[in-house]
Amino acid sequence: MQIVISGILLGGIYALLGVGMTMIFGIVKLTNLAHGEFVIIGSYLSTILAKAMGVSPIWSLIITVPLLFVVGIVLQYGLINRVMLKGSEPALLVTFGLSIILQDAMLLLFSADAQHANISFIKNIFGRENISLPGGLYVSILDVLILIISLVTIGVLTIFLRKTYLGKSIRATSDDTQAASLMGVSVKKTYAIAMGIAMATAAIAGMCVAMRWTFYPSSGGSYLLIAFGVVVIGGMGSIPGTLVAGLIFGIAQVAGGANYGMLISYIILIAMLAIRPQGLFSK
Amino acid sequence: MDNKPRGTVKVFGGTPLIIICVIAIALLAILPMTGVITSNGQRYLLKIFLYCALGIAWNLMSGYTGMTSLGQQSFIGIAGYALCVVTTTYHLGYAMGFFVGAVIAGVISLGLAVILFRMRGMYFAIATWVVAEALKTWFTSWSYVNMGGGMSVTVSPYPRTGSIYYMALVLVIAAFIVVYFLLKSKIGLGLTAMRDDADAASSVGVNIFKSKLLCFVICAVITAVAGAIFYLNKGTIYPSAGFDIGWTVSIVFIVIIGGIGTMLGPILGAFIYVILEETLSHYPGWSNIILGIIAILVILFLPDGIIGTLQKKLNFEIFSQRRFSESKAKKKIAAKSE
Repeated sequence: MQIVISGILLGGIYALLGVGMTMIFGIVKLTNLAHGEFVIIGSYLSTILAKAMGVSPIWSLIITVPLLFVVGIVLQYGLINRVMLKGSEPALLVTFGLSIILQDAMLLLFSADAQHANISFIKNIFGRENISLPGGLYVSILDVLILIISLVTIGVLTIFLRKTYLGKSIRATSDDTQAASLMGVSVKKTYAIAMGIAMATAAIAGMCVAMRWTFYPSSGGSYLLIAFGVVVIGGMGSIPGTLVAGLIFGIAQVAGGANYGMLISYIILIAMLAIRPQGLFSK
Repeated sequence: MDNKPRGTVKVFGGTPLIIICVIAIALLAILPMTGVITSNGQRYLLKIFLYCALGIAWNLMSGYTGMTSLGQQSFIGIAGYALCVVTTTYHLGYAMGFFVGAVIAGVISLGLAVILFRMRGMYFAIATWVVAEALKTWFTSWSYVNMGGGMSVTVSPYPRTGSIYYMALVLVIAAFIVVYFLLKSKIGLGLTAMRDDADAASSVGVNIFKSKLLCFVICAVITAVAGAIFYLNKGTIYPSAGFDIGWTVSIVFIVIIGGIGTMLGPILGAFIYVILEETLSHYPGWSNIILGIIAILVILFLPDGIIGTLQKKLNFEIFSQRRFSESKAKKKIAAKSE
């Protein structure tokens, strides 16, 4: 029971990792192999800003989210839109190159030491780290907080895509690029905004990663694979699918423990790819 | 440019090219004995040969059959560990280690093919990477291979760099010949057809699964032997190094720079890569950044790589796997001039 509770709480962060990836996958039709590095950039920025300003990491989002949003737009306009004209494989390899560059740039800037965001604010506010539940079970306040952040982010994103004009044009581009562009939607602009949003969610996910685990410049790869796993299991471009897949991953991680958690996740992922590559919640 | 008839593409081949190759190989084989290539030079060349072989294998998969794998490190790690286990745990020679590594890599690639071939494009690419990461995680917690603590090669007398140099040279030549003749054969024609349009190729009777399987297994075995030679030279292996995505990063760089889908591309790419790597090693931390930037610039501005761009600009092909024979082209030109 404790495993299920902890797994569900962890699921939020996995879903959040996958949501940016699934947007790029579904809308831009691109596998962004640099997504893990974007997340880790978010982690570093949050940790450093929170330390410099002496506030909790959550406040750092005020700066990191708009910053990475703009970076995403510039990146898509300046580089990826151009390569995508050459086909999907060159685009895949460019994001691969980007991930190598970012990883080593972070290594130069921040050294290879393990980093962790300061989470003492939880103790200061609540006076403890865990909440006991009846039956000897407990939940960590941090995990609950991260789950709330994830759910709010995913919720806001869903409302944005459903209700706003911009969101509708993004969804239209995702469904049929050609028809959308004939109806007056600028595809390049939509792609850029989608990349910006994906980067913004990466900033939030990065902040959660920094609070929950220690991270290194080289951590991006494993988060990319988790994000990819969430996307594949949930189904490309499906946000509710992402949530369910996040929960599956969370439970697999907690059940397998430190040694076998990742292995179980990888095996689930490969099995899923082989049996039902379109995902659980595909359109 | 496209208006020109196909016959004007110059194809370098036949006897002169073979003579050049034989001379180059003979020089590479004899010079180390005479001392013209110093032991330091041998060390560099050894590295170049291994990356050449890795590049040739990856190019066969990605450049000619359209299967972009990001999991080549699976086979490198498996072969490295096979070598260590055979020599350290079972006290056998390193030749046995190479053999066991190649066989295990071949068998595992057969098994993986069943799962991986259900996917295409980016799904295939990521799935191969996931397999490598899963292997890394497994080896890190598997006590038979000393978990994360790593293993070393125990052979006595330990082969000198000089002899490992020859193993690598033989591997490159073998890999080149195997891949060249595979592409020249009927299977090769089917493979390139499959890369360009899998459904069309399948509908005219190309057995996609069989052709892909053959390529995948050959690629795995070449990669495994290169990995085994690398770890024989290095002496120790750790899961984090053997199954590192960095291997694939290097291979992708080599093939992209040299020219994907060309026979000479990986060879030129390997030379450039090793020279760049050795030069950049004076600036620790910067090497991958610069390599990454070069790779992105090449994809943006020279999407066919150096050899590919030269071939297009100058209208020639070396080691062409295409099926226009020289005599036919000459006849065509002769007929036109009449």
